[in-house]
Amino acid sequence: MRGVIGILIGFFAVVFAANLVFFQVIEYEQAVVTQFGKVRTVITEPGLYFKLPTPIQKVTTFEKRMLDYDADANSIYTKDKKILILDNYARWRIVDPLLFMQKLRTEREALARLDDIVYSELRKELGQHELVDVVATNRSAIMKLVTERSDVAARQFGISVVDVRVKRADLPPENEAAVFSRMRAERAREAKTYRSEGEEEALKIRAETDLESATIAAEAYETAERTRGEGDAEALGIYASAYRGAEEFFEFTRTLEAYGKALDENTVLVQPLDTDFFKYLQGAR
Amino acid sequence: MPQQFDFPRSPVPIKLNPKTAYLIMGLLVVLWLASGIFTVAQDEEGVVLRFGKLIEVVQPGLHYHFPSPIEMVSIQSTTKIYREEIGFRTRDSGPPAQYRKVPHEALMLTGGLNIIDVEMVVQYRVSSIVDALFSVRNLGVFDRRAGAGLVHDASETALRQVIGRHAIDEALTEGKVIIQAEIKEQLQELFTKYKCGLTVESVQLQTVGPPQQVDDAFKDVASAKEDRERRVNEARGYQNDIIPKARGEAQKEILKAEGYKVERVRRAQGDADRFLAVFREYKKAPAVTEKRLYLETMESVLPGLKKYIIKSDANGSLLNILNLEGVGRIGKEGQ
Repeated sequence: MRGVIGILIGFFAVVFAANLVFFQVIEYEQAVVTQFGKVRTVITEPGLYFKLPTPIQKVTTFEKRMLDYDADANSIYTKDKKILILDNYARWRIVDPLLFMQKLRTEREALARLDDIVYSELRKELGQHELVDVVATNRSAIMKLVTERSDVAARQFGISVVDVRVKRADLPPENEAAVFSRMRAERAREAKTYRSEGEEEALKIRAETDLESATIAAEAYETAERTRGEGDAEALGIYASAYRGAEEFFEFTRTLEAYGKALDENTVLVQPLDTDFFKYLQGAR
Repeated sequence: MPQQFDFPRSPVPIKLNPKTAYLIMGLLVVLWLASGIFTVAQDEEGVVLRFGKLIEVVQPGLHYHFPSPIEMVSIQSTTKIYREEIGFRTRDSGPPAQYRKVPHEALMLTGGLNIIDVEMVVQYRVSSIVDALFSVRNLGVFDRRAGAGLVHDASETALRQVIGRHAIDEALTEGKVIIQAEIKEQLQELFTKYKCGLTVESVQLQTVGPPQQVDDAFKDVASAKEDRERRVNEARGYQNDIIPKARGEAQKEILKAEGYKVERVRRAQGDADRFLAVFREYKKAPAVTEKRLYLETMESVLPGLKKYIIKSDANGSLLNILNLEGVGRIGKEGQ
């Protein structure tokens, strides 16, 4: 019985002692070992390490992974005196745990310092660019510059700024309203253009139609009149060739025929007796 | 010197046979050792850390690690396609699926400083579990919190950066595919830069539209386009109505003229034939025929006329008819 308890006690004692003198640095960590506040070693490789028990030696661990810093949205003036509401983030890491511990100690402190550095670099850089530049053309180049400068400024704290990016760049609400009304105006113009184009096209089609129909009618008239002319001419020819050599007889018969048509009950005929027709009325000559 | 520790006697005497005690201890040790058995499922990979240091990446199957605190293991799905939503959140994947809009993510500036409303879905997978676990804190993949983490930040950044380079009309219409490709490229660039062990599978722009504040103006453009089509169609209708009619009318006109021609020619021919026929006969006896024709004509013409037959005086003057009824007017008018 005693033996069993002994083993248990021994076990816990060993664990307790191990906990006092051994510590783990996990894959994503780095650590600084201090002895009475003085730095002894900086550990950047993960694994199991030995130290003298607290309070003699103390371990402070830091992140080795890339960390995030998400700033609140800030309004920033651009070169053309326009306000842009920027919501940016930065990615950073602790590259020099010793420096970091000496200057900042905690991540909280680091974030406050980053806020100062990144925001001031952003403001400085964006003040030299026009709004369009920031939004459209040059954004990545601008942010690269800001990243580089922030990195330089942050190095003294044992921090490397990996990347500063604009997550959102928006206009203040007043300007947004102006943008919306401009967009409306643009669209209204576009709509008007489409409608006018429709009108134009329609008028063109109608005019072309009218032209075509007039052309068709005129061509038809042309053909018809030519045909009539041909008919007239042919008829003329027929008549002429029939009457050639019989002019006198034609005149005679045609005149007689014309009498029949020209004279009616309204015609008053005053005829002397000595005409051919009435010559017999006077008695025989 | 364990004997020096003096434990207070428990009120109930522990009647524990030392053998049983050893057995229990042995069992505990066995259990402790057995806690190191673990399985990695087909879609997963695991990493084994010994005292915090990475020693192995394990593939699907049954595995063993030394129990805690010596070794630890972390298992994550690596074949799974993860999904990040920008501009909206799926509230309930349904069916029917329900979504919630996130306006401050969805509204953004385009190249021409217009504002556009975009929703995007990014699909990505873990290509390196080691990088994904150990190179970035708050990655937002295994520790899912919608709308936070590196994946979300990077996606939003890439989206806005690319949209900012394009005009609103490109984004709304034919440029969508190009924009998607650019976002994908941009995002992959960020992932690579951050060495976060992720690979972008696809970027899909879900809805791209004008913000609701100006939606009606954009809709009016669409209806203006339709108006244009309508006007043109109406004109085409007019055309389709008028031209065939005109052609028909023309055909009618031409045929009428043909008819006229035929009539003229045939009539002429008839007239000529008739004349020639008569003439042929006439030539056989011209004088008597002439007389006969003359008389026949007179016969048919004269009955219908008002006739005044007078005896002509020596010089042929018509003075002697002045008082005749009905003809007097002629005389008066003559004065």
